[in-house]
Amino acid sequence: MKKDCIAMLLAGGQGSRLYALTQQAAKPSVPFGGKYRIIDFPLSNCANSGIDTVGVLTQYRPLQLNSYIGSGQPWDLDVADGGVYILPPYLGANEQGSWFSGTANAIYQNIGFIEHYDPENVLILSGDHIYKMDYADMLREHLAHDAACTIAVLQVSMEEATRFGIMNLREDGYVGEFEEKPKQPKSDLASMGIYIFNWKKLRKYLIEDEADPTSSKDFGKNIIPKMLAAGEKLWPYRFQGYWRDVGTITSLWDANMDMLSTTLINLYDPDWPISSRSPVCPPHYVGEKAEIVHSIVTEGCEIEGHVENSVLSPSVKVGKGATVFYSVLMPGAVIEDGATVEYAIIGENTTVGAGAHVGAAPDGTDGWGVATCGPELQIRPGAKVPAGAMIYTSEEV
Amino acid sequence: MLDFHGIIFAYYATPELGELVSKRTAASLPFCGRYRLIDFSLSSMANAGIRDVGVIMQRDYQSLLDHIGSGKAWDMSRKSGGLRILPPFGLPEYHTGNYSGTMEALNAVAEYIRDIPQKHIVLLLGDMCANIDLRPVMEQHLRSGAPITAICTDSNTDDTHHRYVLGDNGFVSAILCDRRGGGEGYASLEGYIIEKSTLLELMDECDARNLHQFHRDAMTAYLSRGGEMDLYVHPGYARIVRSVSAYYEANRDMLDAEKRHQLFPADRPVRTRAHEGVSTYYGVGAHSKNSLVGDNCIIEGELDNCIVFSGVRIEEGAKLENCIIMRGCVVEKNVRMANVIADKDCIFSENTMLIGSAKLPTVVPKGKQL
Repeated sequence: MKKDCIAMLLAGGQGSRLYALTQQAAKPSVPFGGKYRIIDFPLSNCANSGIDTVGVLTQYRPLQLNSYIGSGQPWDLDVADGGVYILPPYLGANEQGSWFSGTANAIYQNIGFIEHYDPENVLILSGDHIYKMDYADMLREHLAHDAACTIAVLQVSMEEATRFGIMNLREDGYVGEFEEKPKQPKSDLASMGIYIFNWKKLRKYLIEDEADPTSSKDFGKNIIPKMLAAGEKLWPYRFQGYWRDVGTITSLWDANMDMLSTTLINLYDPDWPISSRSPVCPPHYVGEKAEIVHSIVTEGCEIEGHVENSVLSPSVKVGKGATVFYSVLMPGAVIEDGATVEYAIIGENTTVGAGAHVGAAPDGTDGWGVATCGPELQIRPGAKVPAGAMIYTSEEV
Repeated sequence: MLDFHGIIFAYYATPELGELVSKRTAASLPFCGRYRLIDFSLSSMANAGIRDVGVIMQRDYQSLLDHIGSGKAWDMSRKSGGLRILPPFGLPEYHTGNYSGTMEALNAVAEYIRDIPQKHIVLLLGDMCANIDLRPVMEQHLRSGAPITAICTDSNTDDTHHRYVLGDNGFVSAILCDRRGGGEGYASLEGYIIEKSTLLELMDECDARNLHQFHRDAMTAYLSRGGEMDLYVHPGYARIVRSVSAYYEANRDMLDAEKRHQLFPADRPVRTRAHEGVSTYYGVGAHSKNSLVGDNCIIEGELDNCIVFSGVRIEEGAKLENCIIMRGCVVEKNVRMANVIADKDCIFSENTMLIGSAKLPTVVPKGKQL
């Protein structure tokens, strides 16, 4: 059956700036906001927008992502004609296959998948953004303006504009110019890395770009400028609302802290649920001496200590006399009795030993940062992990 | 293929459960913050690899149907076999009342039972609160060769129950019906593994003589004519929920870490229908202790010895002690409550005070506004 629009989700990146957290798994499967993984946001947005076919492009440690996505059932994406597919790089007979060399090349290598669904339009998404967006509304604008490509844009401050790809508009409202991280920005409309392309047009540009040996095969750097140069109609879709790129430790921690506010992003909205594959656990238990303040806690947790301004994932244990301040505890993390964790991210199934101290409150110095412990580690009892530390192995501490 | 088939009894609710069962059967009673009682028998079967299960229902089963759906949560939504809902399709038309006993309920679905392809049938109660590891029971049943294996507990209970006494040969020698407290033998959890042929014989015998009771009639007759019955003692937490106080106590038992971990071991998860989940938020003035809290709640007040289901809001200044608050309730500012069981979607307006007694908790029926 012909589809109006299918989605291609670029989940490929190792997310090297998340360091210890992405040793074992691709960035989109990093836990986020208590019950979620980063990829839940674009997948839920697709399901809520009526897009039932999603290709997930990945080439870095896909095992966890694969088992997490499964049949797509948690997002209601287990449909007969369509669904969610993991698309790794592959080799054909007598062919030289290769890793994806850029965002555009990743789509190029999966032209076959897209053609199978014969869509009018293709939505290109990124796997490391936290936001709620109605792609159906974006598609309506795309069609109404007869655009070859519609680019979601966000209004940012002029100072921030120097860090983004900036869209300069023509008088008729279409995009006239694209500048990557301009020193002197002419506009405050930043590209969010979310595109809807007319598939026939995109297909043509992908094939041309692939043949260009000087191209870095990237949407922002190559495809969009080529389309502009050829005089194609590019429409900006103005997005308003909460949107965060969580590509760095600081931005990941910040966005997790945002989840403690119901005004920034409302996850309680029944009309726009963000779904996740949740483990089945009993409700969380709050002990006799526990204190939980301004925090989110979920199933399977057992809290005996003091938790404040923190985000706890499923099955986290906080022992007696332990304190957790301004921290993100990923699924299965154990904070043993008397340990202190502050301004830190503790990876999945990592144990912070009794009396250990991870992280420190900001002291105003440049060297300060969020302390990060990777997954599956044992932080030995009494150990000290300083602010800004990045712990990869249990031997380090 | 595993040669065991499951049957779950979810057709009744005792009057002692009062308003809690005015619109549901005991099997669909919400339990421990997110579950329904039937999750325990379904999960016990699923965790032992049993995929073909019939659930016997008779009335008030809408909430149960909503909950179990196609059986997907227990991997029982299969191409062939899987979960089957068994309404009373085999009853004569003049029969309008409730099933007067388990044998009558079985006879009402006799055709289904005759068509069961497996040799052994596992019978479990839908209103039992126990996570039974059925694999050792199945092994013991096959090893002993007795046509019936009764699942019992060695903990004593003041609830009315049946007891089985072991004879010198290691098999059950007698049944003692409707006992209370401890005594000779083991308390029955009313769970069995029984040969299909034996069950059909007993059903036919009871049908012919118009006998309806499983224990008083069928098991008594079976044992008195020298039928072999083996006995398995389930080692973990177990409670059959047939009164408001049993319901209240079983929930509060889950505040005890040892009992909770017996009922919810990591290697045999209790599965239930998945709900759209957000975490629970604790506000700046929240104080909780010794409580179990489901997801999707907003807690701004104080909880002490409480079980709070998902989707509940407890506003600032509210103080709850020894309460069970079901899904969707709103407890507004400065409400004081103790020993209360609030059914789903109740609203407690500002400054309401409601104190039940510890022995006889106050039940607030579904959807009430106070």
